[in-house]
Amino acid sequence: MVSYLVTILSLVAIISILGLALNLQWGLCGMVNFGIAGFFALGAYTAALVDLAGAGTLVATVAAAAVCGIACALVALVSLRLSDEYLAILTLGFGEVVRLVVLNEEWLTHGSLGLPGIPRPFWGLIPEEQYEYWFLGMLGGVILLLFLALEKLLRSPFGRAIRAVREDDVVAATLGKDVVKLRVKVFALGGVIIGIAGAFHSFYMTYIDPSQFSAILTAYVFMAVIAGGRASNSGLLLGSVGLMAVIEGTRFLKDIFNIFDATQLSAIRLILIGLGLILLLIFRPQGCFAEYRLKIKKPEKEPRKASVQTETRTT
Amino acid sequence: MTAQYIFNGFVSGMILALPAVALTLIYGILKFPNFASGAMLTVGAYLALIFNVYLGMPLLWAAIIGSLIFALIAVGIDQAVFRQLRERTAITLLVCSMGVSFVLENIARFIFGNGARSYDLAIARPKHFFGLRINNEQIITAATAVAAMIVVYFILRHTALGRAMRAVADNPSLAAVRGVRRESIVRWTWAITGTLTAVAGVLAGMDRAIDPLLGWNYIVSTFAAAILGGLGNPVGAVIGALTVGVVEETSTLFIPPNYRQVVSFLAIALLLILRPQGLLGAAKIKK
Repeated sequence: MVSYLVTILSLVAIISILGLALNLQWGLCGMVNFGIAGFFALGAYTAALVDLAGAGTLVATVAAAAVCGIACALVALVSLRLSDEYLAILTLGFGEVVRLVVLNEEWLTHGSLGLPGIPRPFWGLIPEEQYEYWFLGMLGGVILLLFLALEKLLRSPFGRAIRAVREDDVVAATLGKDVVKLRVKVFALGGVIIGIAGAFHSFYMTYIDPSQFSAILTAYVFMAVIAGGRASNSGLLLGSVGLMAVIEGTRFLKDIFNIFDATQLSAIRLILIGLGLILLLIFRPQGCFAEYRLKIKKPEKEPRKASVQTETRTT
Repeated sequence: MTAQYIFNGFVSGMILALPAVALTLIYGILKFPNFASGAMLTVGAYLALIFNVYLGMPLLWAAIIGSLIFALIAVGIDQAVFRQLRERTAITLLVCSMGVSFVLENIARFIFGNGARSYDLAIARPKHFFGLRINNEQIITAATAVAAMIVVYFILRHTALGRAMRAVADNPSLAAVRGVRRESIVRWTWAITGTLTAVAGVLAGMDRAIDPLLGWNYIVSTFAAAILGGLGNPVGAVIGALTVGVVEETSTLFIPPNYRQVVSFLAIALLLILRPQGLLGAAKIKK
């Protein structure tokens, strides 16, 4: 049971990393990425190939992050003159392209057979029976680092600038912000995070094949971001845990409804995800957590200042 | 030989034209790209399959009944989902349409499973004209698509509904001032969209095996066609679809056939860099 929980938590951790990326691209900057599964696959395959070539896991992670970052920057550049709908279509198309290339370039990716035996980080340094726990800890560390970095970014001038671009790019441009540069930067940064998630996916699974990167994954990530509240990173983490409850909960439906086979159960799960997405967008578009805003401090909270004020008024 | 590829491309372009026009109509009225287009096509194909294979009707009647039912379903989806989101941004609608897409596709998967199915259709010997090999399905496809396009063109150009649709697409507030009831126009647009997409589903199902991912295989090409024609321009969408069909098909002379959608993607990317308003779209100054 504990090892099962560790497995699930590791998968949720990887989805959470993807969620952080989408939260940056879509939540903060309003740039929809429907090709998450594709960029994720790109990262995972890059990491796997570099790792299998013997370059080591650190180089593999960096390579995956770089490749995904560049790919995202290029896709963002293509759509720079257009409204957000076009970016959504382009990312969807890019995801399909990655899927087709992975399936068909067998000399590189072994097609649907997949790539086995991907080396893991610190393998051999840690006793094998404890490895899963260590890996989960490592994922937790990565999430914490990313979370802190993104929270910092959110509250920085750069974070305010990209939120301004999301709300109204014309106003942002009028205020002297280089909208195109900001958008490409944010999208590329999101790509880098997706690449890291892809690399960790490869290390965790040690075997990757195209079926692991279906469009379902994109739906999961969107669900996590919307449930948690767009642009709220802590909400997102909660959202992915809630999502895990739904996904894993439906796994137990099997025991109740013996009549359904595996295909039907996965269909039910996806119908629930789709319905959840729709219902959240209709009834709770802001999600469970509100976005961070600059707050004006209320004067009542500072009694000393208040008394000083009254004194000056009386005199 | 090349002529054969061009002809085949023309016919697959005709299948593509139906969802591309549907996409562009919805974009014109509601201003969002409908990502559920692929899943709608799939469900349309399965509806006709029910009447054709399980109830033993000829495919023509199965397609007619199936697409009319799907028109109602499309209006129902709009009332249940998209109507609640009318005043929201295009991005919200677009994410929501992805949710709709998952629900539709997986209802089909739940009922019919992942296995490939096909219509109950008599197999006819292909005909030969001027060295071209033309099979029966291609004749049916071309005839149906052309008929559908003529009907849509007639509705848009020569009926009160079409005028109202164009008015709402052009300037919703002005149309409202002139007494055009937007909600009823939106419903009619979804009905036309549903019919067109479901018919395309049947044609696609004749062309290849019917499985839950049937429509997904067309989605990038459909968007490519609609963007090529300038989103929101129905005539442009038809020309875009024929172009995409021919380019995809002739590209298989040089690259593996599995990469057709890649060709479409590259076409979108190139077009957006060079001529973002589409081949036929007029350059507009946006906000």
